[in-house]
Amino acid sequence: MNHSHSKDSHSKESKTLTFAFMDPPFESERTVTFFRLLDTALEKGANVRIFAYEGAVALAFARQQPHGNSVHGRDSNAENHPLTRDWIAALQQKAVARELGFEWINCGLCVDERGVNEVIAGCGRGGPPDLWRYASEAFNTLTIGTR
Amino acid sequence: MSHYLFVQSQDTFTETRAAGQYQLAGQLREAGHDVTLVLVQNGVTPARRHAQCRHFDQLLQQGVHVIADDFSLRQREIDSSELKDSVAVGTVEAVIDAMLAGHKVIWN
Repeated sequence: MNHSHSKDSHSKESKTLTFAFMDPPFESERTVTFFRLLDTALEKGANVRIFAYEGAVALAFARQQPHGNSVHGRDSNAENHPLTRDWIAALQQKAVARELGFEWINCGLCVDERGVNEVIAGCGRGGPPDLWRYASEAFNTLTIGTR
Repeated sequence: MSHYLFVQSQDTFTETRAAGQYQLAGQLREAGHDVTLVLVQNGVTPARRHAQCRHFDQLLQQGVHVIADDFSLRQREIDSSELKDSVAVGTVEAVIDAMLAGHKVIWN
């Protein structure tokens, strides 16, 4: 399986938290709360591992594009539409700056269903065994259901 | 005694299952465990002073720690002064703190 590691930047003394998430981008407030939790985990000095499945495999899709809002008369720059791939990249940078681990694996089965094979750097492809591994090795795990 | 933290995103006004979720939290408390609810998203709505939600109010009487996420409150223009007594205002830091303390953290 091809997945991304940042073991060189892991703090061996920091605890590792695993999150399992399944909501797609732009559909639910849960996605915002999820990213707030990831950011807070890094702020608290934890290594973070994410197993994204179902719709959440699109969160790291490299080809997300912002758009303007013609109804409100805003072009793309003015609309400043947030993209989840940028949020993930920002968390990756925060982890590096703090010498923490930040790993993101998409469930390959879910990726294939949706055709979102192109992901940003630092995110990888795996499967349910990776979720088992992440949960088994983590100090604690939180699974966020879709409802 | 175990420590439980529920990230409560659902409320009884829009999700019928929320009443059962509250009841589980209350039962764990009655069994002697330490139980915390962190209200996020629309989960903060029963915490408003005049919201009528019997199952939620019972949690406060049972001694369940209830924290309303400040971000969620501000999104909904709910001021802390408008919350029921015993509801604290906090952030999702409480969730991460619980995870790092080894508590059982569950998303509702």
